[in-house]
Amino acid sequence: MESIKLKKITSVWIIAVLTLFVASIVLGILMRLNQGGVLHQAPITFYSNMTIHGITMIGIWFVAGMAGINYLMERYVKTSYTANLIALILTVSGVLMLWAVTLIGKFHTAWTFLYPLPLRVMWAQWATPTFLVAMSILATGWLIWGISMMTQVLKVYSIPQVFAWQHFKKDPAVKTPPFILISMITLVGVVTCLLVAVLLMALYFAEYFSKGNFVNDALLMKNLTYFFGHTIANEMLYLGLAVIYELFSEVGGKPKWKTTWYVALAWNFTLIFILTAFFHHLYMDFVQPEGFQIAGQIASYLASLPAAAVTVFSVWVAVYRVKIKWTLTNLLFFVGVAGWVIGGFGAVIDATISNNIVLHNTQWVPAHFHTYNILGNVLFSLGFFYWFSIQFTDKRVSEKLSRLILSLLIIGGAGFLLAFYIGGADSIPRRFSNYPAEFTTARPLANIGAVFATVYLIPILILFYNISKRCLKILFSSS
Amino acid sequence: MSNPLKKRFWFFLILTIIMGIFASVTIPKSPYFAFADKTPAKVIHVAAMQFSFFLSEKAIDRDKPSGQKIELPANEVIEFRVTSFDVNHGFAIYDKSNRLITQTQAMPGYVNRLRYKFKEPGEYNILCLEYCGVAHQLMRSSFIVK
Amino acid sequence: MFKNIVLLLLIFGFCNFADAQTTSTALKEETNIYERVYDAPLQVVGQESATFDELYAQRPVILALIFTRCTGICNPFLVKLKESLQFKDGDDSFRVMVLSFDPRDNLSDMHRLAQNLGLEENEQWAFAITDSISELTQSVGFDPVWDSARRQFDHDALLVGINREGYITKKLIGLRERGDLDLLTGSINNVFVPTYRLQNQNMLFSCFNYDPVTGKNKPGLGLIFLALPAVLTASLLISISILVRRSRR
Repeated sequence: MESIKLKKITSVWIIAVLTLFVASIVLGILMRLNQGGVLHQAPITFYSNMTIHGITMIGIWFVAGMAGINYLMERYVKTSYTANLIALILTVSGVLMLWAVTLIGKFHTAWTFLYPLPLRVMWAQWATPTFLVAMSILATGWLIWGISMMTQVLKVYSIPQVFAWQHFKKDPAVKTPPFILISMITLVGVVTCLLVAVLLMALYFAEYFSKGNFVNDALLMKNLTYFFGHTIANEMLYLGLAVIYELFSEVGGKPKWKTTWYVALAWNFTLIFILTAFFHHLYMDFVQPEGFQIAGQIASYLASLPAAAVTVFSVWVAVYRVKIKWTLTNLLFFVGVAGWVIGGFGAVIDATISNNIVLHNTQWVPAHFHTYNILGNVLFSLGFFYWFSIQFTDKRVSEKLSRLILSLLIIGGAGFLLAFYIGGADSIPRRFSNYPAEFTTARPLANIGAVFATVYLIPILILFYNISKRCLKILFSSS
Repeated sequence: MSNPLKKRFWFFLILTIIMGIFASVTIPKSPYFAFADKTPAKVIHVAAMQFSFFLSEKAIDRDKPSGQKIELPANEVIEFRVTSFDVNHGFAIYDKSNRLITQTQAMPGYVNRLRYKFKEPGEYNILCLEYCGVAHQLMRSSFIVK
Repeated sequence: MFKNIVLLLLIFGFCNFADAQTTSTALKEETNIYERVYDAPLQVVGQESATFDELYAQRPVILALIFTRCTGICNPFLVKLKESLQFKDGDDSFRVMVLSFDPRDNLSDMHRLAQNLGLEENEQWAFAITDSISELTQSVGFDPVWDSARRQFDHDALLVGINREGYITKKLIGLRERGDLDLLTGSINNVFVPTYRLQNQNMLFSCFNYDPVTGKNKPGLGLIFLALPAVLTASLLISISILVRRSRR
């Protein structure tokens, strides 16, 4: 009974995410075409689209990760269907409100809503409070979901067990599955960043309703905004990784990955680094205490070490000269990990303060985070979606179609990203609706980006159709 | 240590050393203390607001902001004191070949001090690099280095 | 040189006197920065005559411009300066040069002033007059206006920070507290801080509050806000774990 409800609600999540993903990609392509001079949108339209594109993408891949771990967590502990449902309802409400706020109300602060932009009302009056309320609704739903999953895990595993500390001794009696370890570490990060969001919203509401008597400090607000934003973007990646640790070997017909002392060590440290890396968004604010700036660079560097030494190495060891059964699922996982590693190089370069001075807010930034997503995190989740959708039917995507899908994803993704990387190397600014004439490469690069993004969209549409069809079947089946 | 573990350990160690070298070489090059022990030849005050920059050799009055044409000496340390009158903006300097050479943020309520030495004479452009609203892409200014 | 703990956020005290004028004095302070002060020949109380460059080359200078026949701000200004600088007693990284811009003042007038302030024996303070008044005042952007009805000069209470090379590094106008003076002495010793707050900027949410007396940074409210979510999550984790302990058995 429970598992049927869980199956169905997971199907709903998947269909919702894929629908919004397609819509968001279209908005993104329109943005690039505007930057390329092919389309002529009013700047306010461009920036409103940019705002909802960003919010939607982060939102959907975050909930995709949460839905993924919720579903797999059922293998180990009983999860709460109610919490899942509440999250779904609040997410849908919040997202609909945000689409209204941006597309109708023309709210255009960019997804980072950096203070004091949301309070300088350059759009419909109702947009600012609605935005704040929508974000609060999302934070509430996701907090309920996250805390619920944490609780369910803690009912079975004690705190030392959940963090796999017993693996530092030889032959521990209770073994913590890697999936539980990673899910928990990630959920701690998720709950923390959502609490930051709650604090941020409280400060915004205080100022909004104070009619000028209470004014926030711009530096504190920026710190809080990026503490929330950076952390949630990273945690959504780790949610996808948790799924990989659970499914990669299983799908390839190999023995399950086990938690060892170095896996436990790496992930425990990752938690600390993830929560302090966000300072790298403030390098160009010389106002920031210098200790925080250095902490940002060091944490950003260190965050890559456990990831590389454990996850990447493990994936590499699992495939190098090993006979695996490759299916679309683990291929998507594998390409996703490769994309994530490549994105990591760009990240480490930009996280170096002395480089950041010539890269900050150029197109290097969207280059880096789009790499992590379109060829990283998105593929992790798509792998899970596909795997989930084939659990209950016999139909599979043919090998030929799988190869086509992957090739188009890689070609489309790489081309789109290269346009951004070259733009960053050319010092082209990010978040410009149109480019000043002196940036001669900017428009051609934008158009090339749009073309390759369309190439990327094709396999997404194929997967959207394919996976949604199966999910709809699951949703409307009687068992 | 078993062989695969050894390999993993070496991989991790090499990565750590590379990152350690990177960090120790690059951190001292951070811009916060560039030319800290020099006395700048000129101070230029910069105030950013939606959607323009004011540059002046004197401090800029928020109530009556005004700017002036700026000419700077080449090969001398210049100090920019950058602030914003409304939202966060970016103060980014581009050279003649449209290369970004240095930048700092303009945050309301604070002044950031950016020191730089311009080696090449010519016209330098200033662009806003922190998204600030509907005319963000139009915010620009320039100055001459002689 | 690079400091690990940045001093960045300072306590700007309350400019009691100049509160209403804070915006305009801040603007006036940002003039003549990094320009050279005029190397006037000075006659210093209790010392040999010297030119200004000989003095500031030995030790960077905080220049206070007053006149002894002042019935207005000069005395409260110097008294406040003396009080506020007490926390830097014995600090030999700077010298205060009290200089008269009134041609009527002579060395014994200055000597009397030093005695009245109880600063005659104080090594940090020097009292002087000069023949090149207008060149010097022009070079620091000081513009006293003679009011013939009251027979007084109308002028700002100006402090000028001058480093060892004779460059003006900072100006302060009005009665100032320790925090600002600490900034001033720092600037003349070429201590570079990459940022500062604007006056009127609220300090409630600083991450660190610098105490100029101890020279240390204390954690502020902002830091607590940043740390709070992580602390809350950890507490949540522990509380949940305790609450569900029973069902785990």
